[in-house]
Amino acid sequence: IELEKSHYSDHEIRKLEEEEQLRRRKESAYDDDEAPGKTVIMAQDLEDKWEQKLLRFEAAPRITDADKNNNRTSLNRRLDSNLMLLVKQKIGNQELWLLPQVEWQPGETLRSTAERAMATFLGDHIEAKILGNAPYGIYKYKFPRAIRTEDNVGAKVFFFKAFLQSNDLSQAELKEDYLWVAKDELGDYLKSEYLKKVNRFLLD
Amino acid sequence: MSSKSVSPHALCSFCFSSWLPQMVPFRGSHWQTSLLAFRASLPMRAQPKKKKKVDVKREQAQKDRMKKKIKKLEKAAPEMIPIEDFVTPLKYSDSNRVRSLPPLSFEETERRVLLMKKWSLFKQKQDKAEKKAIQTLTEAQQEALKELRLESEELYQAAIRRDEGLFPFERDGPNYTPPLPDYDPPEGRCVDITKVYTQ
Repeated sequence: IELEKSHYSDHEIRKLEEEEQLRRRKESAYDDDEAPGKTVIMAQDLEDKWEQKLLRFEAAPRITDADKNNNRTSLNRRLDSNLMLLVKQKIGNQELWLLPQVEWQPGETLRSTAERAMATFLGDHIEAKILGNAPYGIYKYKFPRAIRTEDNVGAKVFFFKAFLQSNDLSQAELKEDYLWVAKDELGDYLKSEYLKKVNRFLLD
Repeated sequence: MSSKSVSPHALCSFCFSSWLPQMVPFRGSHWQTSLLAFRASLPMRAQPKKKKKVDVKREQAQKDRMKKKIKKLEKAAPEMIPIEDFVTPLKYSDSNRVRSLPPLSFEETERRVLLMKKWSLFKQKQDKAEKKAIQTLTEAQQEALKELRLESEELYQAAIRRDEGLFPFERDGPNYTPPLPDYDPPEGRCVDITKVYTQ
């Protein structure tokens, strides 16, 4: 459609004129005095050169090595979707896979708690942008009866979203059990209730 | 009088004598400097009197003319700045530029129409899904804020506040292929030749 609706471009006109010239020269055997003055490089030659260059170029593959090995700890994995960080944490007496969480200290805003969480899990100088001051989601749970006191019946976990800007996490002191996981793989690791709440605010 | 070193002109001496009574209290170099000043200013006073006035008059006339011109220019309405994108240069409307292609076949048109329909359906579904996702996002956020309010009012206020550092938000979008590891971009300089119009 674009071809139909457009006019000729400069390059194309030049190509057509040169073809005309070639044809005329062949038919009526012109002298070569006219040629060297004007066209040293023909438009067709340019096109051939460009095509050669294109064939020689090789783009990096979209499916990287980490995909083939299914190594979930590397960031190079699924380049076309967003990856989330999951960490194994000990809550109560259970070891669970969770989005990194840190307990709130009184006197802090929620956002600074989130920043502290990032600092503890990813190292100090991490370039991540937290989107806004407000939490994106919440998960409430009640403690099992053994730990319940009168005040603390349960806990609420607020979730914040942040974008990671820098690619290299070499300075991060991550512990062994961390994963970068895409949205559909979250179900393998998280508990169902937790997962339901988390899925609500995660875009793919 | 004894401090005079140069022979005075007739005029000078005349003026001198007329100034004398005033100058008597001031003696010495003070007098000398005033003498010199007089000598310098005297020629100005005598012959080129007309030049000065005429100059002043001419200058004033020039200034007035300039001011009138400026006023005229300002009164005229300011020209519109031409938007270069909306004006097609004339060389692109030559007739030899028009393509001559064979007309479309029936199957081709059919195929195109059906393709357009499928595409619009796909886009509609995509749009609906996006809107639904945004809806769930906002609902989840509202819930979270409600719970936070129940927890502590202070934190809630802190959360509602606007985040100044958020905009302008920049992020490199995803490319079709990941960047090559050892790519060496060609060197060169970019010279910006856009025309800037002042009003």
